[in-house]
Parts: sequence; C-alpha cells; structure tokens
Amino acid sequence: MISVQNLSKTYGRFGRRTRALDAVSLEVRQGETLGLIGPNGAGKTTLLSCLLGFLRPDSGFVRIAGRSVDDLWVRARSGYMPERLGFDRDLSGAAFLAFHWRLTGGDPGQTEARVASAADRVGLERPSLFKKLRTYSRGMLQRIGVAQATLGDPDLLFLDEPASGTDPLGVAVVRERILEAKARGATIVLNSHQLSEVERVCDRVVFIDRGRLVRDETLRGEAASRRRSSVRVPPEKAEEAARVLAEAGLAAEIAGGGMLRLPEGSEAQVAAAVKALALADVAVLEVRSSAELEEMFKEPRPS
Amino acid sequence: MIRRYLRQKLNNVGVVVALGGLALLAAIQLAVSGGEAGFEVGTLAVFILAAACVSKDASSGGLQMILCRPIRRSSYLMGRYVGILAGYGVFLLIAAGLCIMASQALPLIGASPQPLQPLALARGALASMLVAMAMAAPILMFSTFLPGYGDALGYILLTPLLALPSVAAQVLKAPAIEKVGTFLRQNLLPNPDWQAVLSGRNPLGEPTGRWLFAVVGYLVLAVVFFSRREFAYGQD
Repeated sequence: MISVQNLSKTYGRFGRRTRALDAVSLEVRQGETLGLIGPNGAGKTTLLSCLLGFLRPDSGFVRIAGRSVDDLWVRARSGYMPERLGFDRDLSGAAFLAFHWRLTGGDPGQTEARVASAADRVGLERPSLFKKLRTYSRGMLQRIGVAQATLGDPDLLFLDEPASGTDPLGVAVVRERILEAKARGATIVLNSHQLSEVERVCDRVVFIDRGRLVRDETLRGEAASRRRSSVRVPPEKAEEAARVLAEAGLAAEIAGGGMLRLPEGSEAQVAAAVKALALADVAVLEVRSSAELEEMFKEPRPS
Repeated sequence: MIRRYLRQKLNNVGVVVALGGLALLAAIQLAVSGGEAGFEVGTLAVFILAAACVSKDASSGGLQMILCRPIRRSSYLMGRYVGILAGYGVFLLIAAGLCIMASQALPLIGASPQPLQPLALARGALASMLVAMAMAAPILMFSTFLPGYGDALGYILLTPLLALPSVAAQVLKAPAIEKVGTFLRQNLLPNPDWQAVLSGRNPLGEPTGRWLFAVVGYLVLAVVFFSRREFAYGQD
C-alpha cells in the first residue's frame, strides 16, 4: 500500500545542514498498522510529512497504492490528524467537521448525520459540538481531530500523537477509533510516544534514530518478533515457582514483586508455564505478554 | 473556500471596523463629488482583505489539514484570490449604498453636494474592482512564500523598488536604465486609466493588455511557488 524507497531529506542550507532522513526504505501492507517510534528529533515527523506530501524528499520516493502522494485519488482516501489541531478557532466543532466532510467530497445531504456520528464516536457531547474550537480543552481538540481524520472512513490514516494531552478516557476513545479503522481494513501510520498504546494497536513498529530506520519489529501474527512474557505469583512463592518452571524446562528469571520473566514470549511457552505452576499448586495472579517496546526504545539497534 | 476566507477575515472585529470606516469615508467622498471621485480609499481595503491571505493559514497549520484533502493547491489559491475580490465587492456595494444614503442626507445638514450620477458611481466601482484585481494578485503571490504580513509589505516595497532604475538612470545619466525602469513599472505595476477605458476609449489597448498580463502572470507565479512550497509541521 505504502512504499518508501531510499527517502532522504535534509533541512537548512550553507553549512548548517541537518539530515532529517537518511535513505529510509519501508513498506506498509494494506490493512497494516505501523507505528513510528524514536526519540525527539529522530525524523518521524519528517517521514510523516513526506508521506503526506507536505515535504519533498531530496532523493528517493514515496508511492501510495502505486501513485504519487499528491494524487487526489490518494488524498480522497486519506485521513490525517496533526499533533496539534491548528484550525480556524472561531468555528464551532460541528462547523469544523462539516467543512472537512465537504472537503472529503462527501455527500452534502449527509453532512449533518455524518458530523453527528463522528462526534458521537469520539464521545463529544452535542452542547460542546456547537461551541467554538477556541473554547475546547486539549483533550477535546484531540478528540475532534480524530473525528475529522476518520470522517468518511478513509482507507489510509496518518495519525500524529493522536492521544497526546488526553485523559485516560480520551486515550481509550482514540484507541477504539484506531482499532475500528483497523477492523475495517484501513492502513494506518501512527506516530506516537505512548508506547503502550502503540503496542496495543500496531501490527509493526519501526524505530527511527537520527534519520535512519534502525529497527523493524513485527508485533502481531506468525512473524511476531521478541515478545516477552511474565507471570506473577505471590512474592513468597517466587523461588518455588522458579524451581517448578526450571523443572518444566523453562528457565524463568525472578524480577521482583513475585514477577517471573519467561525466556521467550510464545503463547505455547506461557501456556506451559501456567500449567506447570497450576499443577504445583502455585497461584498465578497475572500473565503479561508484551513486546517491551520501552526496552527496544532504549536499545533501538538489534542485538 | 471563498466562504471560509470571508469568514476568517470578517470574524476579526478590527478588520470589520477598519473596512466600515473606509466604506464610510469613500461614501462621503463619492457623495460630495456626485459619484465622480472614485473609490481611492478602496486600495487600503484591498490591503486589509488581502494581507496574510495564505501565510496565516500556513502558520496556523490549517493549510496542512486542507492540503491533505482532495483539493488542488491551485484551487485553494484561487479560492483565496476570489475570496479577496468577493470581500472587496461587498465593500464596494456597502460604500455605494452609503454614498446613496449620504447624498440624500447631506442636503439635510446644509451641505450642497454634486447631484449623484449613478453611471459614474458604477463606473468608479468597476474601475476600483479592476485595480483591486491587479493589487490582490501580487499580494497573493508574495503570501505563498513570505511569512506573516510580508505579502502586504512586499507589495508596498515593490513601488520604491521599481523606482530604483529611474533614480539610477538619473545618477548615472544612463537613459537605457530609465527605459528598463519604465518597462518594469508599466508591466509589473500596470495602472491603466480605467475611467477612460470604461468610457469606451481604447478598451483593448496596450495598458489593458499589460494589466491582464500582470494579473495572469502574478497568479501563475503564485501557483508555481505554492505548488513547490514545503510545509513543515510539529517537531520530530
């Protein structure tokens, strides 16, 4: 769906040049949700800007469904949410959504229904929908930003820190909208520092550091790489649990607080560990399985 | 796009007050002269309507949200241009309406204005619109790459800049430079005598052609610059 080949972008002129992207290549399959991860200044936003056609690469190219990013066919099927919603603050939320519905080329007769539905889906109540955007809190702006990006159910979604500044309920709403788009087969590129959210919704993450794509991790499916699983038992039973797991051929590492880390994260291994502990009469209080993006974030280069 | 532009401008109280004041001033001048004075103060209204027409959208991030939709950059620009002219059209209508009211009211306070000539008023409004078209085009072009109110400033600086060759010609005693200066002024800032043209005197003459060339040229350049422009947003 999205093909990025040898993309390079440099900012500045005459000696003060910064290479924001350095020969980045990646493919995003149709229906895939890709997370962009990396420290501030790594080049994630530059990459997103190139995907959206806001920036022109110095070399390399981006193709979406085999077409240029500027192609109106591509834009008609895209939704974009910037990190900070900078739009006409004198518009009401409803007028803002109606304007974007018209921009998508949507049926004018459906404007009211679509606006109401989009607002409902992000939990914006009717009274606040008719208030001016300048009166909105950061969380409300993020919600209406997600609502405008998903108007018309686009096939492609580009989201830049969609849950930034929102309360836990807002984070959940944003996640639900992403999962909803994902369920209907949309291809999503998500730039976010909220690693737990990235892990929950993304099929794959790419780590960008100093303009280079340094790591590409699949989080879901058969090809899922390096997931870590842990089981939590009562702390006083940790030693016993470790011994039981060792006898079952699983060399678990005690991590404190009754947590035992399993050497691999496969579902089969987790099931074997739980079974062994249950048979030994050791209560399993919790099972965690994660890609441990935070660890990867600290050590982005593959070992 | 046109409605959005008008809404953006007219939501600003300062802009509305300034335009209202200018319309009143133009109306009084026109009423006193019986509609012959023209809409000279209208040039200030064009400045107010056209200033920061693209740059404000670009700096707020609103432009990026529009450009990721199925809208051509040229369509957006033309929306801004037509929006400026539509706003100015409304300004002219209000000024003309106020002029008609003022011409009725002035005798009541003892003034003796010239009798209002509707044809002269209409011709003046049309001439003013043609001037506005030639002013708005370069301001729009500057706005595609200059930040803030740099577009209006760029237009203001264009006049002394184009006078430089004449000054240089006098200092260096080089008539060739003077010719270059005259050529540039006539073609980059054309100023046809619209009252004469609209009265039917040589309507398709050289000045009209230069005006058309300049307006089309600035709009084409605006589209070219805008199509190549990059828009960064946020931080990595």
